[in-house]
Amino acid sequence: MTRALVSLLDRLSNSNTIVLIRDSSFGMPAVQSIHLVGLTALLAAMLVLNLRLAGLSMMDWSLPSIERELRPWALGAIAVVIASGTLMFLGNPTKYLASAPFLFKMTALGLAIVCQFGVLRGFFMSEPDQRRRPINVMVACLSLTLWFSIGWAGRAIAFV
Amino acid sequence: MSLLGWCRWLEQTPLATTVSESIWLFPLVEGSHILALPLSVGMILMFDLRLLGLAFRSASAAKLMADVVRWSKVGFAVMFITGGVLFMTQASKAYGNMFFRTKLVLLLILGLNAVLYQSVFYPRMPQWDAIGSTPLGARLCGWLSLVGWIGVIICGRTMAYQF
Repeated sequence: MTRALVSLLDRLSNSNTIVLIRDSSFGMPAVQSIHLVGLTALLAAMLVLNLRLAGLSMMDWSLPSIERELRPWALGAIAVVIASGTLMFLGNPTKYLASAPFLFKMTALGLAIVCQFGVLRGFFMSEPDQRRRPINVMVACLSLTLWFSIGWAGRAIAFV
Repeated sequence: MSLLGWCRWLEQTPLATTVSESIWLFPLVEGSHILALPLSVGMILMFDLRLLGLAFRSASAAKLMADVVRWSKVGFAVMFITGGVLFMTQASKAYGNMFFRTKLVLLLILGLNAVLYQSVFYPRMPQWDAIGSTPLGARLCGWLSLVGWIGVIICGRTMAYQF
C-alpha cells in the first residue's frame, strides 16, 4: 500500500506538467501567487463571517444571508488553494511529507473545513442573537484560529 | 546620497540588522505581512465584489463600505509597518527588483483609484444605493481595485523568488 503510494507520488511528481512548473523560472512563483490570492479570498470570507458571528461587524445584515452570499466564494477559494497546493506539493513531495509544519497545516485545514461546514455550521446558519454572546465569540475565535493557523503553518514550511 | 545608497544605509540600521539576524523575528514579520492580507486587501475585495454586483447585491454599498473600510484600516496599518520593516532588511535587493518596482507602481495606482472613488463616487453613494444601481465609473473603480490588488499579491510573492 505504502509502496504503491510512493510509486504514484513519484510518477505524478515527474509528470510533464509538474516538471514544467518546477523547472521553469516562473512556474512555481505563479502557482504560489494563485495559492496566496485564493488564501486571501478564503480567509477574508471567514473573517467577515466570524466577525459578524462575534457581533463586531456588519450588524445590519443577518448572518445566514452573509453566509449564503459568501459560500460560493469560500468554496471556490478552497478549490483554488487545494488545486494550487496540490501542484506545489507534487513539485517536491519528499520535502513536504518530511515537514512538520506541512503536516500541521493539512490537519488544521481538515479541521477548519469540518468545523466551518460541518460541526459549527449551525452557528452560521442561524442568527447569533439566539445565543449568549460569549458562546458566539468563543466559536468565532476557534474558527479564526483554525483558519489563520493554516496560513501561519504555510509560512513556517519555508523556515522550519 | 543616491537612492541605492539610502537603501544600503537602511539595511545597516539597528532595526534592519536585528530583524534579519534573528531566527524568529524575520519569519514573524514576514508572516504578519502575509497574514494581514485577508484583513486589508481581502476586506477591500469584499467591497469590490459588491461594486461589481458579484456579491452582496441586495446590501447597501454605503453601509458595507463603512464596515469593511473600518477593518481594512487595521489590516493596512499592519501591512505598511511590516512591509516597511521587510523592505529595510533587503532594501538594496528590492531596489533593483522588477516585481518590487511593479508592486510600488500598482500601489500608487490603487491609492489614486481610492482617492478618485472617495472624492467622486463616495459622496453620492446614498443616492445610487436608493435606486439600486451602481454607476459605471464606480464599477470601473471596483474592477481596477480587484485586478490591481491581485497584481500586488502576485508581485509580492514573485519578488521573494528573486532574492
